[in-house]
Amino acid sequence: MSLFEELSKDRRVVLYAVFVALAIISIGFFGLKFGLDLEGGSYLQLQLQGAEAQIDVSPEKILEMQFNASSVEKHGQSYVVTVPGVVDSAFADDLGYIGSKIAKGDNSTKITIIAAPETIITNYLKKNLDADVQLNVAVAPVRYEIRTNVTRESLDALLAPVGGRVPAGEDAFVMGVSKETVDETKKVLDSKLNRLGLQDIKVRVVDNKYILIDLAGMDVATAQEVVGKPGKFEIRIQTENNESMHVLYGDAVETVDIPQGERNGGWGVPFVLSEEGAMTFQKAAIDTGATKRPEDHYISMYLDKDEIFSAPLAPELASSLQKVPSRSMQATVGGGDAGSTKAKELYIHLREGALPVNVEVVGSGQVSAALGRQFKLQMVIAGLIALLAVAGMIFYRYRERRIVLPMVTTSFSEVIMMLGVWAVAGWQLDLASLAGIIMVIGTGVDQLVIITDELMKGGEATASVAERSIKERAAEAAEKASAGKTVATSSKVYLARLSRAFLIILGAAATTTVAMLPLLAMGFGSLTGFALIIILGVILGTFIARPAYGRIIGHILATD
Amino acid sequence: MELEDIVSKYPPKQIMLVPIAIIILALISLGATYLATGSPVKLGIEFTGGTLVTVPSTESEEKVAGQFDSYPLVDIRNIGGRYMLQFGPMSESQYAEIVKLANANFDSPEIRHIGPIYSKELQEQVVRYLPLSFLLMAIVVFLVFREPIVSLLIVISALADILTAAASMNLTGVQLSLGTVAALLMLIGYSVDTDILLSMRVLKRKGAVEEKIVGAMGTGLTMAGTSICAVISLIIVSNFLYLIVPSFTRMDIIADMSAVLIFGLAADIFNTWVTNAQGLRWYLNKPKKTARGQRR
Repeated sequence: MSLFEELSKDRRVVLYAVFVALAIISIGFFGLKFGLDLEGGSYLQLQLQGAEAQIDVSPEKILEMQFNASSVEKHGQSYVVTVPGVVDSAFADDLGYIGSKIAKGDNSTKITIIAAPETIITNYLKKNLDADVQLNVAVAPVRYEIRTNVTRESLDALLAPVGGRVPAGEDAFVMGVSKETVDETKKVLDSKLNRLGLQDIKVRVVDNKYILIDLAGMDVATAQEVVGKPGKFEIRIQTENNESMHVLYGDAVETVDIPQGERNGGWGVPFVLSEEGAMTFQKAAIDTGATKRPEDHYISMYLDKDEIFSAPLAPELASSLQKVPSRSMQATVGGGDAGSTKAKELYIHLREGALPVNVEVVGSGQVSAALGRQFKLQMVIAGLIALLAVAGMIFYRYRERRIVLPMVTTSFSEVIMMLGVWAVAGWQLDLASLAGIIMVIGTGVDQLVIITDELMKGGEATASVAERSIKERAAEAAEKASAGKTVATSSKVYLARLSRAFLIILGAAATTTVAMLPLLAMGFGSLTGFALIIILGVILGTFIARPAYGRIIGHILATD
Repeated sequence: MELEDIVSKYPPKQIMLVPIAIIILALISLGATYLATGSPVKLGIEFTGGTLVTVPSTESEEKVAGQFDSYPLVDIRNIGGRYMLQFGPMSESQYAEIVKLANANFDSPEIRHIGPIYSKELQEQVVRYLPLSFLLMAIVVFLVFREPIVSLLIVISALADILTAAASMNLTGVQLSLGTVAALLMLIGYSVDTDILLSMRVLKRKGAVEEKIVGAMGTGLTMAGTSICAVISLIIVSNFLYLIVPSFTRMDIIADMSAVLIFGLAADIFNTWVTNAQGLRWYLNKPKKTARGQRR
């Protein structure tokens, strides 16, 4: 039988050949994607600010302090707060308990608040942190998601006046926001970047706390301007002098239309408020007197506490608001090119007003496309040098082309298979991944060396008969006994040696894999590629390439 | 081969003094750096926070530095047609100014900005994950061999490799970066491969320990040789190619990674064939009721 026929029947060799062929096809079909450091562009690393905490506090205490109450009693689903003196419903509304029932007595007022204990706690946190707080009931005990920068200490300090605290224990205070919140934020960013018509945007979430954004073909200053700005949108209305009061947050803005051209002497961004938002807006306008004297009560829009728009109510709108709420609005900026630019910016801000959490840019950078191309070329050169050097090393050791050739071919095919996996998965190859591939060229051959040395008779590795195991010698004796069977590859000797080689290889593969595992979790994903390449190199090599190589080299050595 | 003589001729206890001395020296180097800087190795920009701007320029170093002198410039280095400027911590607005300046005055600059939150998190990660990686490796070694002393010898050799690699970083001025951490983790997993080969061969074959060690050496040194070949090709391309071909550039991350790997792999050759091998000689040749090497 010829070498080819013999090998083509071996399951492992066929499997290996199929994998290599598939890899080549995949690379051709899907193509390879390269990371930002090889393609050029900029990246931003954003931290979502926030924490989830359990809160240990009595709602009665909170109400008592907030209302300055003489007594607080819980009756079923509601709390009855007794306040000295006579107060009206606005008192409770101001504290965030809208819809409370008021029963005025002679020298005290009973306020009945229908609210769950968690609502009261949420309300207290919101008021004192000036941030959004969400209740997470998916875990027990429930956690409060605080969507701003807090620490356990600052939260404890905040709760101390009402006799509350964050319970002890790691679980009671976890930095970072819930997965849903992170996903929501990611979605907002995704849609924002897509709307701007940016291609190849990659928004990734790491550790449920960081959002990484890669922007191809853009310098970091522009990227930061485009992405770094999203924040909390708020509409406020001027009360007296320079004072202003909160009216709406971004969540009350339902839709925003593309900026409208020069009408009424300026560019404008039309937007629609929710029904509830429109009523709140109307109430605020009437309460402050903006409907009567618009020029004294500017409407201002803020993004992360920065004023992005400020103007009086249009006269027509002011007079109509006096009677009915209006859901349709338009924020009008100046005219001309400056107005157009301003309107476009405002448009983005309005659309993204409802970003659920505050973000902070914690890292950023840029790489030029030209430099990336150079890196790529240099790494290809490094790969070729590595292959040649490894081949030289192998030749120095074995001095035989029939061993060197299959060894280097196997090593190279491992690289092909890895690239194939990358192509199919659509993963990006970055500089570190390419370094990983070159290391696999050097380390992958190791296992082939182990196999070859275990199989080779009379080599350095098996210098004397005494070195070989009993099992092996028994197998050899059995082989000698059965005359005619001379093809050593099918013999038990080779299989025994192969299995011993694989014990070493498996041990070595396992240590390399487990040592690289932590790398998948660290470095904000920047080393994931390197770790995956090394691990995949070990796995592909151990389970696909090396078994086949063991057979092939066995056949070659047997045809002496 | 000289190494073969060392392996078989001198008494193991005597030879073991050399690796012990090396480990102690490495610990002293790491300890001294720790006392001086607060961390056992010099921390790179990813761990300290700061800004790195690399600009292509044919002007003099002074001229390039002069353009940035109103910012906290810490260091400037010529890396072959390009200057690498490192800045200390600065405000967001200063950073924005530098970015604008670099983009306006130079053709396609490379910029990296690492904020304090990021670098602090990264430091915590390294403190957490580097020992974890080592622990996982040690567990696998113990599971594979189920011989406490043999496994311990392998783990000690690996530890010596990592300590030597880390100490070499201090001696050569390579800073701890994400790339070098990746290299250290890879060393943790990879440096034990030759130790596993050695221990398997010594435990699972018959014959004198010395003979088996020398037998395993041919295989083990070839393994180390091929890996070193790959690392050297990385070193050449990342460090020296730009000196010959001016259009090429230095690749910092690759240069740092390969520096750590080459130290680690060199240390591994020593620790496998001296530290681990002598440990095995001493342990297996110790007179006792059942000779471990022949039990299986």
